[in-house]
Amino acid sequence: MDYLKGLAAPDRCERLGAGVALSMGCGQIQGAILAGALGLNRRTYSQTYGCQFTLSLSIINTFQRTVLIAHGPVGCGACSVANAGSIKKFKNLRQATNEGLIWVSTNLGESEVINGGENKLRQTILEVDKLFRPEIIIIPVGCVPAIIGDDVESLVAALANQVSAKLVPVHSAGFKSKVMATAYDDVYHGVLKNLTGKLPLEASEQLLDPIEEGRRRLALSRTVNVLNVFSMSYDDERELRRLLEALDLKARFFPEFTDRGDFKTVLDGALNVSLCGTHDDYYLEHVKSLYGQPFITDTLPVGPRNTARWLKLVAGFFGETERAERLIAAEEAALNQVLGPFRQAFLGKKAFLSGGEVRVVATAELLNFLGLTVVGFKGHHLDRFILPAWEQLEVPPQTVFHVATQQPSEQISLINRLKPDLFVGHAGGNNITARQGLPILPLFSNAYGYMGYSGIFEVARRLRRILQNGAFNRNLAKHRPLPYRKAFYDCEADAYLEGPRPLSEGQLTAQNLGQ
Amino acid sequence: MTTFIDRPRWSCALGGALFTLRALRRAVPIIHASPGCGYNVYMAGNAGAGYLGGGYCGGTAWSSSNVGETEIVFGGVERLKEQIKTTLEVVDGDLYVVLSGCMVELIGDDLEAAVADLAGEFKGPKILAVSTPGFADRRGYDLVMSELFRSFCLKGLEKKAEVINFLGLVPGQDVFYKGNLAELKRMAATIGLKANTFFGDFEDLGVLERASEASLNVVLSDYHGQLAAQTFSEVHGTPYLTLPLPVGAIQSREFLKNLGQAVGLSREVPKRAADLEEDRYYDYLERAADIVNDVDLQRYLIVVADSLYAPAATRFFADELGWIPVLTVVTDDLDDQTRKTVSGRFEGFESQLKPLVKFESSAIKTRAHLNQAWPRVGSQRHQDPLSPAVVVGSVFERELAEGFSYPLLSLSYPVTDQVIFQQARAGYEGGLSLASAALSLVVAGR
Repeated sequence: MDYLKGLAAPDRCERLGAGVALSMGCGQIQGAILAGALGLNRRTYSQTYGCQFTLSLSIINTFQRTVLIAHGPVGCGACSVANAGSIKKFKNLRQATNEGLIWVSTNLGESEVINGGENKLRQTILEVDKLFRPEIIIIPVGCVPAIIGDDVESLVAALANQVSAKLVPVHSAGFKSKVMATAYDDVYHGVLKNLTGKLPLEASEQLLDPIEEGRRRLALSRTVNVLNVFSMSYDDERELRRLLEALDLKARFFPEFTDRGDFKTVLDGALNVSLCGTHDDYYLEHVKSLYGQPFITDTLPVGPRNTARWLKLVAGFFGETERAERLIAAEEAALNQVLGPFRQAFLGKKAFLSGGEVRVVATAELLNFLGLTVVGFKGHHLDRFILPAWEQLEVPPQTVFHVATQQPSEQISLINRLKPDLFVGHAGGNNITARQGLPILPLFSNAYGYMGYSGIFEVARRLRRILQNGAFNRNLAKHRPLPYRKAFYDCEADAYLEGPRPLSEGQLTAQNLGQ
Repeated sequence: MTTFIDRPRWSCALGGALFTLRALRRAVPIIHASPGCGYNVYMAGNAGAGYLGGGYCGGTAWSSSNVGETEIVFGGVERLKEQIKTTLEVVDGDLYVVLSGCMVELIGDDLEAAVADLAGEFKGPKILAVSTPGFADRRGYDLVMSELFRSFCLKGLEKKAEVINFLGLVPGQDVFYKGNLAELKRMAATIGLKANTFFGDFEDLGVLERASEASLNVVLSDYHGQLAAQTFSEVHGTPYLTLPLPVGAIQSREFLKNLGQAVGLSREVPKRAADLEEDRYYDYLERAADIVNDVDLQRYLIVVADSLYAPAATRFFADELGWIPVLTVVTDDLDDQTRKTVSGRFEGFESQLKPLVKFESSAIKTRAHLNQAWPRVGSQRHQDPLSPAVVVGSVFERELAEGFSYPLLSLSYPVTDQVIFQQARAGYEGGLSLASAALSLVVAGR
């Protein structure tokens, strides 16, 4: 893969054929991906959701000793307010710091719309460098500078030697892609071009004692870079570290909550391991082709089968498969010893999941393991990265898989028809779902564990608590109406989707046979 | 001149417009923009406004045309028309307002023409259009309210002497807007006035429709609401005056006096009302007499807030709690004339105290201003630090407060460390609750 010669990362609709407006049975998913053309559909009624700019912040807001310059009118990046109070706490868990989240806006006005925003950006970069002395100045570029044609790359190149911070433009105009996750590529595009690179050997290293050097290389040969995501917690990192250490592997987490130097030092790790293909493939493929660093991107270690698969793949790379199998057996046995009463409590409960495609499928496997029945999904988008987690899941083929980024109105009829006992949801649309009266388990959290074996138990504990008393949402449903017209409640979830419908299983089989 | 804004304490015109409509019962916005515009300001306004939430049809349920590259190249009007039609089909509302993001304004999409084209197709709720690009203006509240006063309010209604409208509290931007409006409405009633607030408890769009019955518009901010009041005056011939948001008994008495005078009441009416209110007010405040004096709860005060709260809170703490205001930073990006007006609000405190007042939007600069306001004095052996002190600000002041180990009370947007419902910071109720919150911080370790 080499997209780095381009100004920005390509739209995932084109690069991966990802789709955001589909509805199908689970039995059709693999075929639909195989057949391609997922991205042809469109909505005639749509609702707001995150864009490249807002989602890019989920990575870059976490970088240590970094100031963001939101290049756009004053509102772009206002969503960072939601993390302004809490990000320091999360930064502090990884590195002691008194540094909160600092972002500035170039506050583009009418004058810049007419005359260009480059001068304002230039002055802002120079002042921010002087005032805050950050290691990195990262510059998400929004819709307005993209349309008026600000040449941010040339500006950054011209200023590189005038500032002490490393400058990283991130081209994240919100209109560029309907696939929100393109934001991850936008960030990595900027990171790969400006922060990644082999560290030159320092004089002290060159003079290392051969035995010391041997030890260093041995340690690196057992070092795994785990690519973390904003939708995980420090507890998740600790759990994955624990499991990898049980295999005598050293885990390093990045890019979230890391600093300028980390982007170089990680290149000496033996292996990059992704937690979610949707998040990282752009980085992993580029680093492999540029620096020869191998990677594994497969499933997300949420749920026992997914965790075991993820562990075995990593262990297999180091020739430790048998050891991993022993670890997995011991962990599963320990879990099964304590899960009995939880499973009893969850017996017969039905769940609907909504959020990122990989996350909902992996979480469904976890819920199945705990004894719940999964009755439906709404995935943010659909592409091939869903497949590894999909292979770990058993659900009836007619189970609905609706594809929509947020779009809470589209799940109204699904919830009404399927009548789940539990909704597992991504942050953002839950003010609508709450008014359908369901208990809601957040799909992820920065504060709770979900991953690995401790994650399974933690989810079980929280789920028991959440299902024990759903009074808050039940009362909301009684007192606060949903905003939709009567006729809308009879509409199917795909009533406002236009374009080719996914083929039926029979049609797919025939088509594939034809190929 | 600063070229940028460090951690802006407001979003954009679209953000202000969306949260204004979120506060109007059964009003439905239709966003014509890229997918992320609505989501971005929802995330900001939800968390920053004490978890205001998406409400009836908001958050990720906000209708949005979600324009992409195709529309940016070929124009987005057809997509907008489609979205308006489907929104009317799907969402049950009494008023629909089309708002725009920057990108559709740059490509020249004509919102009003799109709405006019559809006018013949729909009987029923009104559909209005308001341009709200973030690069042109940040007064989304004023842009929307102006259009509503122009096109939604009934014209030619007879004016009623006892009816007034309150303008200038921007939902979300004033985190306590709902409680404040309820309290001001209650206070107006104590002098026989019926106040419309448009966003208040039990007020619906019918109140807005009949707003032109008011004989006076009262603007509570020196910045927000001024444009809306001017528009109202041009369209309906209604005069307006600015009475800054009162916090506590002293400012509330002044507020009632000025309000009474403006509607032609005898001086006795507001005086009697204020006397009665103060009797109740001091019945509560008196409770703190013991602890405040037993252990000395007087504090130095640093205020970092927008122009709505900065003068009012400084004056309240100085003149009523007897604290020592040292530094007040006004965080809005104001024009020179408004700055001058706001500066004047720091004159004439009963306590005869005045802090160093700075107009500054950048959070990073507060520490430097503090060094100016409280230069190091004393000897190496006998220091005179700024202590004990309290910071009244927003969550952006957390690092400053933690750096000096001062307690922080969030008052001004963004407030992400409190869940706000009906609490007020204005009037008598607001004064009591602000005093209670501030003193609670000081006794928190007991």
